[in-house]
Amino acid sequence: MMTRCVVDPMTRIEGHLRFVTHIENQVVIDAQCSADMFRGIEKALIGYDARVAQQVTQRICGVCPYGHAEAAALALEHAMNLRPNANGQRLRNLIVGSYHLQDYLLHFYALCALDFIDITAVLHYQGQDAGLLTVRDWVKQEMASAKVFPAAPFLPRYEAAYCHDPTLNLSAIRHYLEALPIMATLHRMVALFGAKAPHPVTIEAGGVTTIPSLDSIIQFRTWLIPVAAFIRGAFRDDVTAVAQAFRPYFAEGRGAGHLLSYPFFPDATGANHAFAGGATLNGQYQPLDINKITEDSVRSYYSDQPDRHVKPLSSRHLTPIDWAQFNHERAQPNGKYSWARAPRYGGAVMEVGPVARIVNTYHAGINPAVTSLVNQYNQALGLTLADYPSVMGRHLARLFNALLILDRLEQDLEALVPDQLGFIEQPVPRNAQGVGLTEATRGALAHWIATDDQGYIQNYELIVPTTWNISPRDASNQPGAVEQMLIGTRIQNSAAPIELTRIVRSTDPCIACSVH
Amino acid sequence: MNSKRRQFIQRLWQIIVAAGAAQLFNFEELLAAPTAVNRPRLLWLHGTSCSGCSTAFLDIEQVSIVEILTQFVDVIFHPDLSLATGEQVIHILDHLTHHEDGFILVLEGGIPIKYPHACLMGERPMTDWITQLAPRASMLIAAGTCAALGGIPKMNGTVTGSMTLREFLQYKNINKPLVALPNCPMKPEHIVYVLLHQLKLGQLPELDELARPIKFFERTIHERCIYYADFQERRYAERIGDPGCLLKLGCQGPVTHNDCMRFGHNHNTNTCIRSGHPCIGCASERFPRQIMLHRYGDRRAIHNEFDA
Ligand code: SF4
Ligand code: SF4
Repeated sequence: MMTRCVVDPMTRIEGHLRFVTHIENQVVIDAQCSADMFRGIEKALIGYDARVAQQVTQRICGVCPYGHAEAAALALEHAMNLRPNANGQRLRNLIVGSYHLQDYLLHFYALCALDFIDITAVLHYQGQDAGLLTVRDWVKQEMASAKVFPAAPFLPRYEAAYCHDPTLNLSAIRHYLEALPIMATLHRMVALFGAKAPHPVTIEAGGVTTIPSLDSIIQFRTWLIPVAAFIRGAFRDDVTAVAQAFRPYFAEGRGAGHLLSYPFFPDATGANHAFAGGATLNGQYQPLDINKITEDSVRSYYSDQPDRHVKPLSSRHLTPIDWAQFNHERAQPNGKYSWARAPRYGGAVMEVGPVARIVNTYHAGINPAVTSLVNQYNQALGLTLADYPSVMGRHLARLFNALLILDRLEQDLEALVPDQLGFIEQPVPRNAQGVGLTEATRGALAHWIATDDQGYIQNYELIVPTTWNISPRDASNQPGAVEQMLIGTRIQNSAAPIELTRIVRSTDPCIACSVH
Repeated sequence: MNSKRRQFIQRLWQIIVAAGAAQLFNFEELLAAPTAVNRPRLLWLHGTSCSGCSTAFLDIEQVSIVEILTQFVDVIFHPDLSLATGEQVIHILDHLTHHEDGFILVLEGGIPIKYPHACLMGERPMTDWITQLAPRASMLIAAGTCAALGGIPKMNGTVTGSMTLREFLQYKNINKPLVALPNCPMKPEHIVYVLLHQLKLGQLPELDELARPIKFFERTIHERCIYYADFQERRYAERIGDPGCLLKLGCQGPVTHNDCMRFGHNHNTNTCIRSGHPCIGCASERFPRQIMLHRYGDRRAIHNEFDA
């Protein structure tokens, strides 16, 4: 018997996501992901000054604004034929790197941990930790109250098989509480050189406008100490322990496993990135070729033609369908069903994110630190590279990313020169084009810009990590990456399909980004 | 009164002092703060937002977010924090609609009117959710520039017909106390202050005609700027990195009402202008402007606004 299982709204992700699955004999046989929010920022940028793109596009996403700021600056620098000086690049790395760390912690603790960790374990807590005692007493009080929704926002939840290990449950809940101030500290570190977080203003084409002082460098270092201790200690322990406790999840949510990444985290010259760009298809790595990127919108809520194999910057329009057409499309079995478009790489559906960065860098062999970290964990946990595109592989790869970026942050901080401007001014380019490639924590991010004869934006294009992951079907009816991850999954209880929400959250979707 | 609670209240008190609100409450009044029974209930919804206001809210430092959740307000639902998923959420929201009232509704992001399908939750447009929930709320908070003044979803060239929360309430004839907290993203201290004010004094702080608390938004960035003296002496920066007023590089400080120069960002770690960048006016009615940072003497900047 076939049943339909809908999750809408999908919470603890960024934005408005709905997914619909069809289940036969407890196995998902079909899945559709709908990105349910649209602002139209991309084409609205036309007519704004080229530098405005940096400030506006980072407001596409309040979780990964750094990625958009950097991609927009890189695109404009490409059009200007300009590279920041060493201080400018290092400052940018410090802002983007700190923000990556904040984003990894936000994702693991605030968004995902309580899908695995049993929050009710806190009721049995007997120790002295003030934070845990507060939560325990509060949960008890709430459960005893006559409230309709006691212990919100931690309850209600899907009742399912959570972690049974009382020690792991309690230490992870304690770290959940401790992670919040660590995340705030990381945002302060972003603000030291970026002015504020979210939405740092100082990353501009030409570098970073902040002049670092000895004081700000020392302050950054002081804050980095507890952050580094938390990431190398609590975070590492928790991710590793959850990965071991939920080992079968290395086989869940695999999808097609084709992986796309862009070069990320350069040294002070703007080259020699810590993470390699490239594409791994069927286990075979190939260098990046961005000319292979196209987008389809056959199943997306737009009426523009052509609706398939569209190259970046080839259209200046994006026309949404109206309410009546929308309702008509939703009622069709093969109608349009998402605001997200469907990007493809040489026609292939690609997964982007932490796994793509790690696996592609491993294959490219450019970073010995990546190679040795992966080898070490593969041996300890009995994994192979093929296990990484999976729910647990994604969590583990995020840990690797965090550890690697932390090392690079420490190096960039030591090399930063106080009292030296890291910004080179140039006029906004006229009648020019550029592309900026970087990685948000959730994956490969590209901006394309074209300017007119006065330096205003003539066209803008964004292809964003979650668009790759959450994409709907394309012109040849291939399901998107997350849709493929869901198909084939066995679920226990379609009223509480935690297997599916764990898969979706493992990709860290950001719907505001995916549609923009 | 246990000592944990006393410590919590002390830190809350620091926020009030930092926000310059000490004359409104005394410490003893705060000690008599709400209990589990009468804590205000908070419902947080995302319109066409980027979640930046939510992540900024998590950054509140003087009190931990967990203390806020367990001792200050009951967060009935928050899209990024709630364990509730899918139908559980719809059940909560429908229950609120039919059986509860008096909660505080926070909205982040715009409300698309012309294309209601541009913001959906549980297959229902945000326009429907707000229409059914706002009349049940005791007060509404428009968090961040999008909900407060328009911001990004309403920028020139967008087509969804985005409304601010205030515009939407007028459009739907819903009469409710409303506070607008512009800044992109909203400052966490601002919302904590507003909640405390309501809690302790049973009323909202004094507001201007755009529903912004006068306390934070009476003065412009410019009036309190570290370069105000330079501005008066006409000492202008000609390039990024120069000392002096940033007006000629595009500064929006003179037309932006906000308290950044008093309280800074991220626990007063920095401000835009201190970091060498002109104010881009992220809390202003005209955000985002057509030109922000530009070169000294850029002729385009003289007539730089879209026809409004
Ligand atoms: S930098 Fe901006 S806010 Fe400061 S004085 Fe100059 S114009 Fe005013
Ligand atoms: S200084 Fe201006 S741009 Fe910066 S946060 Fe304040 S209002 Fe926004």
